[in-house]
Amino acid sequence: MNKPIETPLTFAPRDAYGMPTPLSESEHAAQLKKTLLKDIQRSAYVYRVDCGGCNGCEIEIFAAITPVFDAERFGIKVVASPRHADILLFTGAVTRMMRMPALRAYHAAPDPKIVVSYGACGCSGGIFHDLYCVWGGTDQVVPVDVFIPGCPPTPAATIYGFAVALGLLDQKLKARHDEEAADERAILAHPGIPHELRVRIEREARRMAGYRHGGSIADDFLTLVAQAASARDFESVVGQHLAQKDDPRLSEIFTRLQAVCIAGPQDMQP
Amino acid sequence: MSVAEHTRTGRNYVAGLRAQFPSAVLEESWQTADQVTVTVTADSLPEVVAWLYYDQGGWLSVLFGNDERTLNGHFAVYYVLSMEREVKSWVVVRAPVDAVTQEYPSVTPRVPAAVWGEREVRDMFGLKPVGLPDERRLVLPDDWPDGLHPLRKDTMGYNQRPSPTTDTETYTFFNDGGESRVVPLGPLHITSDEPGHFRLFVDGEDIVDADYRMFYVHRGMEKLAETRMDYDQVTFLADRVCGICGFTHSVAYATSVENALGLEVPARAQVIRSIFLEVERLHSHLLNLGLACHFTGFDTGFMQFFRVREKAMTMAELLTGARKTYGMNLIGGVRRDILKDERTRTLKLIAELRAEFTPLVDMLLETPNLKQRTQGVGRLDPKVARDFSPVGPLIRASGFARDIRADHKYAGYGALPFDVQSENSCDVLGRVLIRVREFYDSLALIEYALDHMPEGPILVEGFAYKPHAFALGFAEAPRGEDIHWSMIGDNQKLFRWRCRAPTYANWPPLRYMLRGNTVSDAPLIVASIDPCYSCTDRVTLVDVKKQKSTTVPYKEIERYSRERRNSPLK
Amino acid sequence: MFKLLKIIARAGEATEKYPFAPLPVSPGFRGKPEYTAQQCIACAACVLACPPNALAIETDAEACTRTWSLNLGRCIFCGRCEEVCPTGAIELSAEFELAVANKADLMQKATFTLTRCRQCDTPFAPTKEIEYALALTAQQGAADSDLESLRALFETCLDCKRTHALAVLDARRYVVKGAA
Repeated sequence: MNKPIETPLTFAPRDAYGMPTPLSESEHAAQLKKTLLKDIQRSAYVYRVDCGGCNGCEIEIFAAITPVFDAERFGIKVVASPRHADILLFTGAVTRMMRMPALRAYHAAPDPKIVVSYGACGCSGGIFHDLYCVWGGTDQVVPVDVFIPGCPPTPAATIYGFAVALGLLDQKLKARHDEEAADERAILAHPGIPHELRVRIEREARRMAGYRHGGSIADDFLTLVAQAASARDFESVVGQHLAQKDDPRLSEIFTRLQAVCIAGPQDMQP
Repeated sequence: MSVAEHTRTGRNYVAGLRAQFPSAVLEESWQTADQVTVTVTADSLPEVVAWLYYDQGGWLSVLFGNDERTLNGHFAVYYVLSMEREVKSWVVVRAPVDAVTQEYPSVTPRVPAAVWGEREVRDMFGLKPVGLPDERRLVLPDDWPDGLHPLRKDTMGYNQRPSPTTDTETYTFFNDGGESRVVPLGPLHITSDEPGHFRLFVDGEDIVDADYRMFYVHRGMEKLAETRMDYDQVTFLADRVCGICGFTHSVAYATSVENALGLEVPARAQVIRSIFLEVERLHSHLLNLGLACHFTGFDTGFMQFFRVREKAMTMAELLTGARKTYGMNLIGGVRRDILKDERTRTLKLIAELRAEFTPLVDMLLETPNLKQRTQGVGRLDPKVARDFSPVGPLIRASGFARDIRADHKYAGYGALPFDVQSENSCDVLGRVLIRVREFYDSLALIEYALDHMPEGPILVEGFAYKPHAFALGFAEAPRGEDIHWSMIGDNQKLFRWRCRAPTYANWPPLRYMLRGNTVSDAPLIVASIDPCYSCTDRVTLVDVKKQKSTTVPYKEIERYSRERRNSPLK
Repeated sequence: MFKLLKIIARAGEATEKYPFAPLPVSPGFRGKPEYTAQQCIACAACVLACPPNALAIETDAEACTRTWSLNLGRCIFCGRCEEVCPTGAIELSAEFELAVANKADLMQKATFTLTRCRQCDTPFAPTKEIEYALALTAQQGAADSDLESLRALFETCLDCKRTHALAVLDARRYVVKGAA
């Protein structure tokens, strides 16, 4: 069933069970990399290795080098062979079929080189992280220098990622670990509104306009309810609000929410 | 679910089947008003499918297997036929496959379009299509152990990773280009460089045949949908089947579950889905037209199309929150509404797109170089097309006006006016012209939809899932129809999800389109079917006369296509 | 050729100034999820909804804590966490500058204390979650004495609620008809 392994383990490492393990970077290569960063800032040759991505990342990389984002302004040039590359850009979660091509590209690129892992699939395997036919991210096969999250990363996020890889910009993200403070409490939204009414309004708003618009519409509505001194007052402030927004769809949604208020709890949908 | 007798569209096909093959039909069940599943004996499968296909005007949209041993003791194979003559409906031919023999008669000798599907069923389930000459794996990688079939319910977990059985590619490539037979087959140790995904069999500069290896991107999504995910999460998985037409997959999937449940999705949600679908068509067609420029050496045009395309990406971002992977579907509707601000901005971008696209495309079509490079090139003969059921602009350029938006209405298209674009030239130019006209149609569709938005909610909730209910869902992606099939499970997740992307249907006839053309035309022909372009990073050129082969990067063939100098064959 | 030059000239300076100037994104752009630990009640609704399992929650019974975590490397920026969160503790922002050299910097965590069951002393529910439930009940107008009884109920784990008799309390008084 299992044929003897043909490629040397220095090329494609495996553990005692025959499972692939990541290639590690040699000391020598790590040293060379430091000098690379000094030279590379004027022009960087990038070779793209698609390890089984859906192509979303490919297209955004494409967009990053076309006129609107123009990564070529920073000397970033895509090359056709890994032998000419300073930067290897890996996309995809590393499907089984792409493990060897990925390793071949890595070995073909001369040291020193920078390895960038692109997109959620590259960084970690993304939504496919534990599937049978992927290895779960670039760093499962080769050592990685920079990770660019996104699904797909936008061209601007791509340019930012290159800037970090080239040492032009510092990364912004830092690991965070919050510990619960003494007497820390989650604050209730709209404390002046009866809970069951708030739930009914929020649900109807979401059914009408989705979680994002619906959330802010429900907030606006409930704020107006809380502020109103009387039913007539409420009608008046709602009228003003809708006149100012001048959006027929918003008016339609508000009408629905008012109906929900009047209807009372027994008409609520599950 | 029960479908009222008088609403059933396609009853005539079932009646015809029963008359033509009296002992074949075992059972008939209706999923929706126009979807029927007919269970036939395994032995009668090839004749039944061939009759529906050639005699009744059916096209094979997808075929797949299902491990139903826990439900009824058998495996099953399903052949989905899109009936497109006067009565448009879906007829799914289902055959039980014995759990012990695990064999069924192959349909491919009668209907060539079945070839990939049957190879995939063999990979995923271990069911043998008797009479299919092609013994090669389709989907599973070379380093996958024999005898391990991922989609069986009792073989493996979705996250089980066997150690690689080999480090080299062992796929064999076929050539049947007539008398030029003697070619090196088998693992290509003879080349110093790695074997290519694409084999072009050539005689000098002329292509005599081609073969290709796909599925480098096989990740295992169908198994994932049965295991780690619930119904709503699969919509996000579907978005990532393809980074270019992902939302189309998401709609096709959500629709398949909604159809299985008989769920009525609110009208406003359906129209919003159509709008987002057309936005996706805009960016994809601009991408393809840009690539067409690129391969004909017109790089400035390429850059300009990409510049204009950015407006379509901005449109997607303002409507959905992201340029790509819209993530806008749930079972029962959509996650975002279109309010005044989004509507105004979108209409403005549409006007800008129309104004900027027109002079660019006029210029593209007026370049003499374009006509010369695309007219008569990459011909898809209508007879070959009829045998293989390709989809999208590819089939429409060969005289068949097939478009799911018209043939089997879904999402909001029932209320949106548009024409199906087609050509009779069968060539690359025809496909380019179709995409141009479809671009204008998409702009008009979005405008119309925004001006005729229904009132009401965008999401329906509070429904129950029915175990083992199943149905088809479908949508016309920019490249052609996506077709999905879902069977609901009994444990808050799917029992089976089948997802067929349009390129799957379009690759098999590609070799016929390449034959008779030159090597420098190959990238343009490949691009005209609008495939996932990154799947072809190396090409091996095999000269059948000289019995020599060279492997070059695909980029090198592309360069040759643009510059027409310094052939890689020399 | 001339027509092409006209088109290019008319397009003007098409290139975005980014990164030399900030890049504006559309309202509603789905960028980095912003998490406010103070608002989180560790209910794990987001963890259940997350398609790529970027969100996780882990209990440490010995330390009597539960730790929420977000792996931005796995995040697909879909916004389901924001959609299902009952307290508004997580919202997608416009932030897209997420590249890092150190993978560990993609992880965000928050640790919460667990309350021990009054009967069996096993840590079973986040303290903040219990307090939130009580605050909601209080908002519905429950009397203080009733709240104390309810607290006894809420601070008992499911197994113990089943096996031990809980005297006096009629929980039905606190559920308004039709509310979740």
